[in-house]
Amino acid sequence: MLLNAVIIILREVLEAALLISVLLAISHSINLRLGWLKTATIIGIAGAFIYQYNLESISSAFDYVGQEITNAMLQIMLFVFLAITVINLQARKSAQQLLMIKAGMSCAVSLAIIREGSEIIIYLGSFLHNEKYLLNVAIGGLIGAGIGLSLGTLTYFGLRNTTHPYLNILRKLLLAIIAAAMLSQSVQLLIQADWLPAQHALWDTSRWLNEDSVTGQLLYAIAGYEATPTPLQAASYIFGLLTIGLLDFFRQQRTRASRHA
Amino acid sequence: MHRFITLYLCILLSQWALAGNNIIEIEIKNHLFNPAEIYVPANQKIKLLVKNSDDSPEEFESYELNREKIIMGNSKTVIFIGPLRPGKYPFFGEFNPKTAQGLVIAE
Repeated sequence: MLLNAVIIILREVLEAALLISVLLAISHSINLRLGWLKTATIIGIAGAFIYQYNLESISSAFDYVGQEITNAMLQIMLFVFLAITVINLQARKSAQQLLMIKAGMSCAVSLAIIREGSEIIIYLGSFLHNEKYLLNVAIGGLIGAGIGLSLGTLTYFGLRNTTHPYLNILRKLLLAIIAAAMLSQSVQLLIQADWLPAQHALWDTSRWLNEDSVTGQLLYAIAGYEATPTPLQAASYIFGLLTIGLLDFFRQQRTRASRHA
Repeated sequence: MHRFITLYLCILLSQWALAGNNIIEIEIKNHLFNPAEIYVPANQKIKLLVKNSDDSPEEFESYELNREKIIMGNSKTVIFIGPLRPGKYPFFGEFNPKTAQGLVIAE
């Protein structure tokens, strides 16, 4: 039970921690103060409690697929806010762009904490009346959270201290990948709810990289790796990447044009 | 033209109708799935009615089926799976993986 708690809490914490560490690294590179993160954490934790408290009634809504719909909406909004962050990360940032970046990052982190935090609260909360396992689960949870935070810290310092000529582009690409992963996860949830058509898997790479392996889990957390995606899921991932790429490109063109005007 | 559009929409919407006859009930009790093995027709969408009779929440999860959902204690839910190619697709209760194990067999 302890090991199980480690794994569950680790997985939830990791998804949020990786996103936060990427955004923190970007925030550091453009010398932002951490107000955006503090606000996001408070809103996220409060939101997580509110969400898990209402999960039962949310779950039975929409003919028992309310949970999928709500989570899918959260993921789509995450995609939108990460997209806003990416396209405002231009070379020379106006005050308005900086505000959009802070807003985008703050909202994205809030949503991520709401999503992962609510699951953590539900899992841990289910053991409050279970004296037999409560201590084990609490310790396991702390260990899991510790590992997740460590990996996040590693990512943060790795991103921060890397010197590479194209570092800015790489960071934006990483954000775009995370955003695309959010989008394809929302599509998967809508398929699960039967709001989008179900299809046979497009490919099966579980022989090469099993989702259940450590590498598979890490790749899922950062890039949304799926061993058996449906065509719709794969298409939404590519659509997400292309949309952000094109919007960023046009934004750069506009900035360049207005500067030469 | 209108007939063609109507026909196309009917075909598209019929996807949602396909699970009509394929409803399977699973119960979670004492952190066990019952039935633990369910047989489903291959290549069809299936509607799972999962009822959690325990007091504590469980998370229905499966990597092979790409499904993940929390079911609160003493409540039920709906999960759609498929269409599945013939084969075996394990699922488990993430909160109690040692006992809550199941298998979907598509044939």
